[in-house]
Parts: sequence; C-alpha cells; structure tokens
Amino acid sequence: MVDLATAGPIAAASFVASTVEVVEAFTIVLAVSVVRGPRPAILGTSAALAVLALAVAIFGPLIAQIPIHGLQLTVGVLLLLFGLGWLRKATLRAGGVLPLHDESAAFAHETQALRAQASERAADWIAGMAAFKAVLLEGTEVVFIVLAVGARPGLLAPSAAGAAAACALVLGFGMLVRTPLAKVPENSLKFLVGAMLSGFGVFWTAEGLKAPFPLGDWAIAVLVGLFLACAMAMAMGLRRLLARLPAWT
Amino acid sequence: MDLIRALGAELWKMFAGDLFLTVATLATVLGLALLLTTRAAPAADAPFVLAGVIMAVFTAAVGLSTSKEIKRKSDR
Repeated sequence: MVDLATAGPIAAASFVASTVEVVEAFTIVLAVSVVRGPRPAILGTSAALAVLALAVAIFGPLIAQIPIHGLQLTVGVLLLLFGLGWLRKATLRAGGVLPLHDESAAFAHETQALRAQASERAADWIAGMAAFKAVLLEGTEVVFIVLAVGARPGLLAPSAAGAAAACALVLGFGMLVRTPLAKVPENSLKFLVGAMLSGFGVFWTAEGLKAPFPLGDWAIAVLVGLFLACAMAMAMGLRRLLARLPAWT
Repeated sequence: MDLIRALGAELWKMFAGDLFLTVATLATVLGLALLLTTRAAPAADAPFVLAGVIMAVFTAAVGLSTSKEIKRKSDR
C-alpha cells in the first residue's frame, strides 16, 4: 500500500503536467465545436481517446515486463529530455526572449483555418480530424507523463488519478465557460512542470544507474527546488540583460 | 500519413526540440554509465555529478538559445 506522502506529490505532478496538455487540446476541440458544431468535435475526441485507450491496453502490460532498473533509466532519460525542453522554453518565455504562448491566438488561428474550409463538402471530416489529431497528440504526452511520473510499483494509480482529475477539471470548466482557457497561467505551469519533470528525471536516471541519492524520495523535492531556483534566476537575469540591449527594445 | 507525420513531429518536439540539450543530456548519461561500469567513478558521487552536469547543460542550452535569438533579432 502506497502512503499519501508518496502518492500525493506523484498525483500533483501528473495533475499539473496534464493540465497544460489538456488545455492545449481543449482549445482546438472548442474551435472545431464553434465552427462546425459539437458533432465532429465529439466524434474526433472520442475516436482519439479510443486509440489512446487501445495503445495503453496493448503497451501498458509490456512495461511490467521490463526490469525495474532498465525502466527507471529509460523513463529517467526521457523525462530529462522532456522536462529540460519545457523548462528551457518556459525560462526563455519568462525571461522575455520568446513570446508567451497565447491560447486565444491559437483558438483564433484554428477557427480561421477551419472557416476557410467551411465551404468544402468534407469540412465536417476535416474538423473531426483536427479534433482527433489534437486530442491524440496532446493525449500521447499525457500518457507519457502518467507512465513516467508513476514509474514505480504502486504509483501508476495516483499518477493516472492526477491526470484524470486534470482532464475532468479542464473539460468541466471549459464546458462551463465555453471560451479558450486563456487565463490559465500556462507559462507558469510549464515552468513548474519543467522543473518537476527534470527533478524526477535526474532522480530516476540515478536510480536506473544503480547510484541512488542518499536522501531517498526527499531528493526529488530538493532537485525540483534546485531546478526551479536555477530557472527563475536565469529568467530574471535574461530580463535584465534584454533591458540593456538596444536591439531588443 | 499526415497524422503519422504530425505524431512523429510531436514526439520529436517532445524529446529532441533542442539538439544541443538532447545530445548533451544523452552524452552525460552515457558517460556516467560508462564511468560507473568501469568503476572509474564511485557510485556514491554519481548522483551529484549527474545533477550538477545536467544543471550546467540546462544553463548552457538557455544561454545558447538566448544568443541565437539576440543574433536573429539584431540581424533583422
């Protein structure tokens, strides 16, 4: 039985990381629903969820066959690549080097693209495919996050519960307000998630190399804190640097 | 076909969006694994070496991306 002190942070990490992905998928599905009605949006989303469920049902049991150190090393390296990528982008955005991700702009872009095809006979099919693609692509990332964060015996359930809660919250809130969730502080979430995934990545990689941290699970909190502090310091430094550059202002 | 291409691009973006970050991270893990296998590094130090080098790689990746963006903007 996994205690709450272990399961809680796993569920929280999975929840926060999945929220970012679900918000992105929701923006596209909402655009499809606004332009072509709910039918292609629901059909595309349902088909993508079915494909994801099938993939998990096929590949999920195979994961249990991999030796634990091999699994931890693989997941650790993938988490590092994924987490560091997110943290790098979030740091550049927070530092003002890259523009912030704008869900309203993404919604406007998707809506315009779908309206351009509205006169065609296959418009419903194209709209359904757009919803299918968005849910499948972002859903693949959610599945990866769930598997990676819960890559230890007994932790898959809290990890999946965190992701399910994120889906329920975003979809529930999104259906209520029926507008793109532009107020979700996506870059702040990506900042936090990037630090979390990078921290988990270093921890699992060390465990996979059979060279674990002496603090046990507490090392994850220390690593996440270090990544967060490092990224925040860099973002602040970048803001100061860019303010002094005439070419930037 | 379009869907498979999009899925491939998304997976590529997920794990290898920044080539320097990807190559340096993989090289760090492989190098450490080699040092541990040949017993050239003590296992007790390995996690701290890993964390330190990964932080340095991350810092360098942000620095590289920033200088690239600054150059791109000043070239315009």
